[in-house]
Amino acid sequence: MKTKRQVQKEATRLHILETAYQIYAEEGFSATTNQIAKAASVSHGTIFVHFPTVENLIVCLLDDFNAEINGQLHGLSEKNEQLETFLEAHINVLIRYEAFYKRLISEVNSLPQEAKFVFINMQSIVSFHFNQVIERCKNEKTVKEIPMHIIFNSWLGLVHYYLTNSYLFTEGSVLTEYKEELICNFIKLIEK
Amino acid sequence: MKNCIACGMPMKKESDFAMGDPQKDYCVYCARPDGSMQSFEEKKQGLINFTIKTQGLEKSVAEKAVANMMSKLPAWQEYFKK
Repeated sequence: MKTKRQVQKEATRLHILETAYQIYAEEGFSATTNQIAKAASVSHGTIFVHFPTVENLIVCLLDDFNAEINGQLHGLSEKNEQLETFLEAHINVLIRYEAFYKRLISEVNSLPQEAKFVFINMQSIVSFHFNQVIERCKNEKTVKEIPMHIIFNSWLGLVHYYLTNSYLFTEGSVLTEYKEELICNFIKLIEK
Repeated sequence: MKNCIACGMPMKKESDFAMGDPQKDYCVYCARPDGSMQSFEEKKQGLINFTIKTQGLEKSVAEKAVANMMSKLPAWQEYFKK
């Protein structure tokens, strides 16, 4: 059983991560730990008790984000669901975290090396489920014989383009507004 | 809910577990045909190949990303001790 002190420590750690998530979503990853501490109503030193470096804070945050995405996408590709259903589920997960994800894909190249690897592993979770659906479609001969990485990268490229350039399309949630159009036309591009 | 100790996948249903056995700590994708867990080298190579196949990464990038992922999983801690 955890001591009261351990429970409190875990709660503070989680609170810092949740606040960092909000701040990075609003301000980008150049936001300072001072800003995060202020928003979380903790001392600046408290941040470093839980996360020795800024890099460690970002990596822990992305690890938690990965786990969240993993949990939400899990099981989708095993229910014999259609390609359309999977793509919709992927976009729905991204809509839930749209502001943060948009910052992430815009700034990933300037993040620390380890954070970049965590980002790759985040896409591996998606590609794992996507691959299962595409393999099934290929067996049923309903999609063209295009290499899996081209199918996956084309889908991500499309979604990321709309996200990073959302100002071209809407003032609101670009994924919410363009979800149907993106899914429907992406399927037209790859189906036989 | 358990997570696979070898790849991190959430295991909710019986079919997620190796041999459909919820007592196992690893998932159906980390098991060999006889039900035993894949070795470190088998898993590492499988994940590298999968990452290259599905994301088209250059091999050395895929190797580093996979090492980063495996270093955080309980099954492989001894391989990453400094």
